[in-house]
Amino acid sequence: MSRVLVAMSGGVDSSVAAALLVEEGHDVIGVTMKTFCYDGTPAHSKTCCGLDGIMDAKRVAAALDIPHYVFDVEEDFTRDVIDDFVSEYAVGRTPNPCVSCNSKTKFPELLERGRALGCDQIASGHYVRVQHGDNGSSLLRGLDPDKDQSYFLWAMPREMLPKLLFPVGELTKAEVRDRARALELVTAEKPESQEICFVPSGNYRDLLEKRLVATHPALLPGPIVRRNGDVVGEHHGYAGFTVGQRKGLGGGFPEPLFVLEVRAETREVVVGTHEELYEDVVEIAGLNWLQEAPEAGSIVHVQMRYRAPAASGTVERLDDTLIIALGEPFAAITPGQSAVIFDDEERVLGGGRVSRAYTRTTA
Amino acid sequence: MDPVYLDYAATTPVRAEVREAMLPLLTETFGNPSSPHRWGRKAAEALSDARATAAQALGATPAEIFFTRGGTESDNLAVLGTTRALADEGQIPTLVVTSVEHHAVHDAAEKAESAGQLRRVVLDVSPEGTVDMDRLDEVLAEGHCVVSAMWVNNETGIVLPIPEMVDRVSAAGGTMHSDAVQAFGKLPVSVDAVPIDLLSVTGHKIYGPKGTGLLFVRAGTKISPLLFGGGQERALRPGTEDVAGAVGLATAMRLGVDEQGDLSARLHTLQSHLETRITKLVPNVRINGGMAQRGPHVSSFGVPGVDGQQLLMALDLEGIAVSGGSACASGSTGGSHVIAALYGDDDPTATVRFSLGRHSTKEELDRAATTFATVVERLRGLRAPG
Repeated sequence: MSRVLVAMSGGVDSSVAAALLVEEGHDVIGVTMKTFCYDGTPAHSKTCCGLDGIMDAKRVAAALDIPHYVFDVEEDFTRDVIDDFVSEYAVGRTPNPCVSCNSKTKFPELLERGRALGCDQIASGHYVRVQHGDNGSSLLRGLDPDKDQSYFLWAMPREMLPKLLFPVGELTKAEVRDRARALELVTAEKPESQEICFVPSGNYRDLLEKRLVATHPALLPGPIVRRNGDVVGEHHGYAGFTVGQRKGLGGGFPEPLFVLEVRAETREVVVGTHEELYEDVVEIAGLNWLQEAPEAGSIVHVQMRYRAPAASGTVERLDDTLIIALGEPFAAITPGQSAVIFDDEERVLGGGRVSRAYTRTTA
Repeated sequence: MDPVYLDYAATTPVRAEVREAMLPLLTETFGNPSSPHRWGRKAAEALSDARATAAQALGATPAEIFFTRGGTESDNLAVLGTTRALADEGQIPTLVVTSVEHHAVHDAAEKAESAGQLRRVVLDVSPEGTVDMDRLDEVLAEGHCVVSAMWVNNETGIVLPIPEMVDRVSAAGGTMHSDAVQAFGKLPVSVDAVPIDLLSVTGHKIYGPKGTGLLFVRAGTKISPLLFGGGQERALRPGTEDVAGAVGLATAMRLGVDEQGDLSARLHTLQSHLETRITKLVPNVRINGGMAQRGPHVSSFGVPGVDGQQLLMALDLEGIAVSGGSACASGSTGGSHVIAALYGDDDPTATVRFSLGRHSTKEELDRAATTFATVVERLRGLRAPG
């Protein structure tokens, strides 16, 4: 059997992934990425890749009797993930740091180091599937619709696909827990990690204040306006807002208002009613394709938020930017978020980052 | 093939004589040495014997031996305790350390400096093992100095000129400490021959138990405790004594001194053999501190063209247990401050430390050298352009 390098975060999913590979008879090597300095993050135990995660991964590896190593990727992670996260918020967008981590840090690092350790394949505990066929490899949604993580993997270099294994993608979360319990893995009852690993408190404003100058426009007060220009309030920094958000706008409006847009140039946070959230054209940049890119005129499905349903639409244009005309208007399309393109319900074609969304004024 | 352990500078297995000596203290002689009854007296007697044995192994008197819970604690107590005693007298102490000290000294010094408790001076050490003595004299002349220098560097094996430093420090009225954790058992270490003020030893590097150590404190040396409690170890290191540990440490020290000459001679031959093999088989490799006088058990190599973490993992998978600069806390292997101090921050080599022990054999070293060469060649091949 082949030698497989499996990324173990210390959570239950990657623990079971490693166990399944061992059961299948692979020569398995476990690794945990040390992604950032944990000083001053008292809540680190809740995160997927905190120091406790390293300990748990080591315990699982020891129980499975496989070697386990820690890859120190702090420098790359800071540059490619944390700095990107901060600079996206600084211009009013809402990033998906897990996407940058997977595509820039985690998987390339696994591939390179795996090669050095003589590994043929790379595995992780993501809820996705890969199909290796004569016509190449495809990335598919995980079988558990509640856990599917294909949204976070569109940006991976295409040439990596043939090397990837996702053992838990065929299982549901409940099945994964059952396997972990049956194997008496110490991570069997570990709670889900919800927050971004380097913002364990969930309050990313602290991080922005630490990494941007205090006088950065993103952190300064600015007007809350309606689309018609009416000023309806003041905010304490547009970095605190994302499209679709209701919280933090202050109250006293005659109807519920939502963030429609963040305008970094003028520090305006634009708000409006729920109906105003809907747009029917989305522009996507920073594209990456895992299959042949779709042609203009073809119908695709685009997922624009984690766990949101995909919307169907028509490819209008594809060069550096992909423009999709949505079949139905879609609410709260957010610049900076990943837009993942599926050819049907299952297979990831590729993706990009939403650069803008708007409603086409029909004649 | 059986895996090969070449990481004796990280830790050693407890030898049978030590284990046997310890066992009664874990079972029938379990008393608290401070207790006024027969159980207590038995334990106190064992502790007192251990102190006498350890003292004899070092050339000290029993009253100068303070049992601690390891090398890190001994080092912290030495540098922080002596500088604190100076501060208690109203002085602003200067703590002089070398650039290649263990983190137990290095980081303690840094922390105390940033807390405003002392002035810190770092003496450069050259790859040839020389210490900046002019700078030392200069600082000593200003008075109120504690100097801490390791006897044998843990990452490279470099031997620092401790006797010469002791002469200068004592002539200037300063206080001298040495971390002899890697030196004890490999070089003659006697506080009778070298009139040093403080010296750290740990058990687990010399086939004794982990979590054991001692600080030698010459009679008359001013030192304040870091911990407070029941007054054990003459209040310098309070806390109910680990009698079994002290007995284990003392036994390991006695055997270490008895066997030091023979062991060192044998290790020295093995070390030369390993270094000859590796420099022959691996192109373009540097022996770190190769021009310096070194302890007989450490061979550290600087390997350009490979990633240090990858190299260690690949060697482990091939069954060769070695380490980077030193064994590190959270399992990651960051850059070594010692190699940076000797060869500069931008030194492009990966560091691999082989460290030998009493169970090492020529066959093991041959196998390790061959595997090392194969792995380095493979990793360099992956990195090569095209």
